[in-house]
Amino acid sequence: MAPDSGPFPDGQLLKLLPVDPRDRDTQRCRLGPAAFRSLGARLGSPLRISLPAGGCCLCTAWPRRDRVDGFVQLDPQCASPGARVATGRIGMDCLQPVPCPPLRRLEVWPVLRPQAGAPSSAAVLEVVHELLRNRPVSRGHVVTTPPGVPGPVAALHVMGGTPDPEPGGWVTPHTRITLSDKPPPQVEPPGEVTLGGLSETADSLRELLRLPLRYPLALAALGLAVPRGVLLAGPPGVGKTQLVRAVARETGAELLAVSAPALQGSRPGETEENVRRIFQRAQELASRGPSLLFLDEVDALCPRRGGPHRAPESRVVAQVLTLLDGIHRDREFVVVGATNRPDELDPALRRPGRFDREVVIGTPTLKQREAILQVITSKMPISSHIDLGLLAEMTVGYVGADLTALCREAAMCALLKNEKNQDSPKIEETDFLEAFKKIQPSSFRSSTGLMDIKPVGWEQIGGLEDVKLKLKQCVEWPLKFPQEFARMGLTQPKGLLLYGPPGCAKTTLVRALATGCHCSFVSVCGADLFSPFVGDSEKVLSQVFRQARANTPALVFLDEIDSVLGSRSVGTSGCDARERVLSVLLNELDGVGVRTVERRGSKASQQECQEILSRSVMIVVATNRPDVLDDALLRPGRLDKIIYVPPPDQEGRLSILKVCTNNMPVGPDVSLENLAAETCFFSGADLRNLCKEAALFALQENGLEATTVRQEHFTEALKTVKPSLTLKELTFYENLFKKGLSNLEDD
Amino acid sequence: MAHDQPLLVVQEALRKCFPVVEEQQNLWQSTLQDCSPLLSSLSNLAEQLQAAQSLRFEDVPALRPFPDLQERLRRKQLEAGDVVLDKLAERLATLLKVRNTINSHVEQVFQAYEQHAAVLDIDTVLRPSVVSPSVADMLEWLQDIDRHYGSSYLKRKYLLSSIHWGDLASIQALPKAWDQISENECQTLVSDVLVSVSFFLEEPGGCAASGDLEHHS
Repeated sequence: MAPDSGPFPDGQLLKLLPVDPRDRDTQRCRLGPAAFRSLGARLGSPLRISLPAGGCCLCTAWPRRDRVDGFVQLDPQCASPGARVATGRIGMDCLQPVPCPPLRRLEVWPVLRPQAGAPSSAAVLEVVHELLRNRPVSRGHVVTTPPGVPGPVAALHVMGGTPDPEPGGWVTPHTRITLSDKPPPQVEPPGEVTLGGLSETADSLRELLRLPLRYPLALAALGLAVPRGVLLAGPPGVGKTQLVRAVARETGAELLAVSAPALQGSRPGETEENVRRIFQRAQELASRGPSLLFLDEVDALCPRRGGPHRAPESRVVAQVLTLLDGIHRDREFVVVGATNRPDELDPALRRPGRFDREVVIGTPTLKQREAILQVITSKMPISSHIDLGLLAEMTVGYVGADLTALCREAAMCALLKNEKNQDSPKIEETDFLEAFKKIQPSSFRSSTGLMDIKPVGWEQIGGLEDVKLKLKQCVEWPLKFPQEFARMGLTQPKGLLLYGPPGCAKTTLVRALATGCHCSFVSVCGADLFSPFVGDSEKVLSQVFRQARANTPALVFLDEIDSVLGSRSVGTSGCDARERVLSVLLNELDGVGVRTVERRGSKASQQECQEILSRSVMIVVATNRPDVLDDALLRPGRLDKIIYVPPPDQEGRLSILKVCTNNMPVGPDVSLENLAAETCFFSGADLRNLCKEAALFALQENGLEATTVRQEHFTEALKTVKPSLTLKELTFYENLFKKGLSNLEDD
Repeated sequence: MAHDQPLLVVQEALRKCFPVVEEQQNLWQSTLQDCSPLLSSLSNLAEQLQAAQSLRFEDVPALRPFPDLQERLRRKQLEAGDVVLDKLAERLATLLKVRNTINSHVEQVFQAYEQHAAVLDIDTVLRPSVVSPSVADMLEWLQDIDRHYGSSYLKRKYLLSSIHWGDLASIQALPKAWDQISENECQTLVSDVLVSVSFFLEEPGGCAASGDLEHHS
């Protein structure tokens, strides 16, 4: 836009930029010369600006340093309560010069800083004079103190004066400023929804805060003390801190947030002193209005007492307990503790009167994730094609913090992608998919056995059509078509056993399975489990299941299970680590229930079937020695689907060969059909090896310039590669299959 | 050049104001320099007081004949402290005077501008010449300087008023906190402005606006 251009056309849009750091706390509004001219403003003349995000503010007009038109920057030091400056566009008609006569008298209501105590009104008046000197003010507006300025005053509400500062008035050195004795009318903060999927938890917190305020008489008539303690438990990143902050803001309660580790002192007794001081502060706040003391990471403050060398910690715990009980008088504020290790807390804390309620916030379920995504993306310019439901389905195991990171990453992707079009970036679905690759769910970090699998499609596995179908039936369908399953009264199978001769694509099948359904995939092998310490293996296995349950739907894969688990029926030795692992597995598969700290989602009875179905952990087990497995494992309810993965037949071999030679320049004379016919007793792995050998022969014969693999190479390779399967082995598996069936019938 | 008359009036006011700013700035700086030794002696006294507090007089055999020594020592130290505090209060009054002087002068300039603002075109106000910055810039700088002195004075006053003898540790930290105030604010603001207007001040009342530099950005 050219400077010094003609008169500014009315209704033209100006771009609202963030304020220049040099202009902070100056109440200036920077305009271009043309805007100056069209407003008829002078240097420093007051302007009333209606902000696009709501509210308005009073500024003084100053020319931009670079004298460029088309932009506005403003410092909203004197603004209507709740006004927010967001970048965007602002019409010329939103700027309005206002007359500001000098004020003879001004009445203000100071908002004191919390640490100020009770300063004398003279001290307050001096600060107020300095703050308001030579400024335009308007009735109903709030002048905030810049953060660097000391003093007891945090902000000033302009209540009135003579002449009435509406729309504006100028404070001069001769203005007599008085402190108002009436507080300003409370403005309801705009109902902003910052929480997704935590409404039930938020309700119970809100109730605790509001009950004593709403029904003081009724509660007094009951003669009961109100519950005043809540313990929030849940994994990191689910929004415990966020929840408390949001509820405090919403109910207008004073929030005193303390991180428990910050209270620790080095000297003996210092920690207790800090704790006492914090409770004292909370008590002071409570005398002014509803207040909430938030102890974050409370497990650091109150660990379980009773161990040796724990005397100092026990003293701290005892101090907290007595303070929670309100030993001197009734505690008047709500205490909220947050922890992600509730079991580490001292049991004495967890009784009514101290932490009356315990709220477990688990990793968000599908619906909760969708709600969270909706909240996060509500302020983002996302394209209308994005299906948040699908995104929620994909983000299994993501907590709120992860989802925020995901959205941030997607926004970054969108920004970097179209740099030229930075004015109105739109976030597309591809950006989310790109971000999805980068952001790992935090609950799965530092966990055992999480696999970063290479995606394998079903079509990359040759043959085995009926096995694939069975697998899809068992695993993919319940996840994808929950309504249909619910209609037919089906429940999802718990476990799945894949057995068959080695080299017949059992592991690859599981990989394809994990790729096909969007669920978290945990693979556990013997190396993860076994440890030289007694009881460690069992602990690791149950940890794996706990993590899987936190990230449902999940697929736990135990490869070569015969080596991991012993069999009580076949083996003879009395007490073996493997047997104990087996017993853990049996319990995890078909236990009584889950521990309370693992609870997820809402407790409401009517839940959608999708939620229920997507809440299960499924275990897939692969072995080539099913005969040594324990009988208890093979009953329905544990491993209720037993799938035999047979060696490929002729057709299967043909399709395997096709898959193997996909990236291979095969000569025209090669007949894969004949090859398939000749390779009886070859497993999938053998066939792959055969192709590899043939290609190597081609290289050997024609030097490094070889271009095609011809029939003779395959014939040559056939001579060296021997099938790994034998008829005897196969009949063994076939018979086992029957035996397995009869076993099930016996059960 | 009749229509330049108002501009000349404003420039004349500005020309009168900046030398005052310069003079007051020197006074301000010298006062601040006077304060530092006082503050360090105060901090020193606080250290002595603390040392006297932590000493157990009854345990030292040589001091036993003087039973009320601790009390006397303390009174003496506090008296010394009060003397220093009085001196500091004097310095603070000087700072306040600087602030008020600058404030009144800046106000006069703004009044001069206000009187003629109706006839002053915005382009005239925004146009700098070879030797002088634009009137708008100079007015803005004056406002900045005024605000700077105001907040700086308030911070120092607040710091000194927060002194009480019960909190010796914070008195010991006083010199540091005092220097911190200077460090946190833009120290070169006033001198930079004075440098920018030096040519304008030297120019003997000429018609600055008739300069031939057309400012385009």
